[in-house]
Amino acid sequence: MGRYIIRRLLQMIPVFIGTTFLIFFMVYALGDPVAAMFGDRAPDPAAAAQIRRDLNLDKPLWQQYLLYMGKIFTGDFGTSFNGRPVIELMREAWPITLRLALIAVFFEMVIGITLGVISGLRRGKAIDTAALIGTLIVISIPTFVTGYVLQYLFGVKWGIAKPTVSADATFSELLLPAIVLALVSLAYTTRLTRTSVGENARADYIRTAVAKGLPRRRITIRHLLRNSLIPVVTFLGIDIGNLMGGAIVTERIFNIQGVGYQLWQGILRQNAPTVVGFVTILVIVYLLANLLVDLLYAVLDPRIRLA
Amino acid sequence: MPVSQLLQVRDLQVEFRTRDGIAKAVNGVTYGVDAGETLAVLGESGSGKSVTAQAIMGILDTPPGFVTGGEILFQGQDLLKMGREERRKVRGRKLAMIFQDALSSLNPVLSVGYQLGEMFVVHEGMSRKDAKAKAVELMDRVRIPAAKERVGDYPHQFSGGMRQRIMIAMALALDPELIIADEPTTALDVTVQAQVMDLLAELQRESGMGLILITHDLGVVADVADKIAVMYAGRIVETAPVNELYKAPAHPYTRGLLDSIPRLDQKGQELYAIKGLPPNLTRIPPGCPFNPRCPRAQSVCLTDLPPLYDVTDESGAPLPGRGSACHFWKEQLHG
Repeated sequence: MGRYIIRRLLQMIPVFIGTTFLIFFMVYALGDPVAAMFGDRAPDPAAAAQIRRDLNLDKPLWQQYLLYMGKIFTGDFGTSFNGRPVIELMREAWPITLRLALIAVFFEMVIGITLGVISGLRRGKAIDTAALIGTLIVISIPTFVTGYVLQYLFGVKWGIAKPTVSADATFSELLLPAIVLALVSLAYTTRLTRTSVGENARADYIRTAVAKGLPRRRITIRHLLRNSLIPVVTFLGIDIGNLMGGAIVTERIFNIQGVGYQLWQGILRQNAPTVVGFVTILVIVYLLANLLVDLLYAVLDPRIRLA
Repeated sequence: MPVSQLLQVRDLQVEFRTRDGIAKAVNGVTYGVDAGETLAVLGESGSGKSVTAQAIMGILDTPPGFVTGGEILFQGQDLLKMGREERRKVRGRKLAMIFQDALSSLNPVLSVGYQLGEMFVVHEGMSRKDAKAKAVELMDRVRIPAAKERVGDYPHQFSGGMRQRIMIAMALALDPELIIADEPTTALDVTVQAQVMDLLAELQRESGMGLILITHDLGVVADVADKIAVMYAGRIVETAPVNELYKAPAHPYTRGLLDSIPRLDQKGQELYAIKGLPPNLTRIPPGCPFNPRCPRAQSVCLTDLPPLYDVTDESGAPLPGRGSACHFWKEQLHG
């Protein structure tokens, strides 16, 4: 196990370099960050040249990349073009997005799994059909639509929830955005759970459990769910990474000043250090989430041997 | 046939209600087993032998499977009239089953020790720790080497033969009165088959339990069974003590089965096979269901369903335990 983890961590290095170089390339080579600093005005050539020198932008791209990476490891993600260190933006944004994503995953787990188990056990019954149709509707409506609709209904019309989130992003403020963020994944979780439960319910080992004279409750919980939830748990693990990166739309709708919001602002203003910095961390989050899922898989399913 | 004390199945009917119609899987099966006795139920796939067993165990997939008639008397009590909870308590404790494919029949994510110990935890309220000790004992009993070290292993870590031993151990756990083994050796290598069968026969002798052995392998049957019931299209077509059946079958179908066993002294010759296929259970032909494939079929076979006749010897003296559902059993048996 220990060797496996070390090997996986080593494998991450080339992936990390590849993805970060790609984003670095796109931002610094395909765009012109200095021109972006001047907004709509034509840049003064002398000033622009000075800035390029100060920011190492006159050096070859690979050198810029190496210098940037070297600084990252000392915790210096550079300074945003509006003067604030990127690391400071991160300190504000990441906890908010993390909180949002965790609440969303919690909804997926509780509601998605419960609904999936119920409809998987009652295949073809009314509740199963309702869950199937409901999830299909949710999946086919884009997040920005559900987001604005729920914001209007809950936040404006009925006044149950605050329509926008304050800078503090308290737990109660994040409930509605978390539901919006979770909704599509929740529908997938439900469907995945339903399929998995339905398949396993017909498995030979369930028949054995019945033949052993075990009570139905025990068969469902110890034998059926223990097996059925393996793919679901791994899906949820990967989804945590997805939710953090995919929160851009939700954070925009509810004005949450998290990662998605900062990225959005960064892209809009071609604020290169912000974009590269946040994406770099997102890459790490994805990689770690994937490793976590693989380890979890091995813990849940003894047939998977990590070597 | 004398009435058996341990298990008596009477005129059992099972059907599967499918989209393509009603498949009559079991059509009036009657058989019995006594303590210490081994009944082999023989038949092709789809003959209803496994479905009968599932109906006895109460593990029929319902829907689509439904028991529509008959009785299953176990120690004098009709299992079909029992409540669900009452019946559950019989399962595993008094009536146990061994399945064909041990790999898929054992839960892949639970250790074998857990799965064995579960029997004691659920039926006897034992603590997990004591149950684990019991599991080791059971694994010793079915001769799994290093049982103590392996009790925490998972099914996929065992060989096919060892896995089947674990299935057997699970069935034996609470010393049931009757074990139903549904093709217990079909998925195993020939050498391992013999070991597993021997073990099963030996454990049965030790404990004096009844055994129903479902198989399509005539070689397995000869060694361990006391009596045989041959099934075809959901009916019993012949019953006999094991030696007599091999020596002189009283039904053309049994004759065909025996003739289709490959023999060394017939090397080079084409293997015998019964012509045609078993009938579609949604459309069983009128008369004797075997008539389209039977070399002896006459016009009466196309119209009249033969009952299970009592079979006698040439002088007319009854042969105990023998029966044949053939209009021409005399011709078949006595030539």
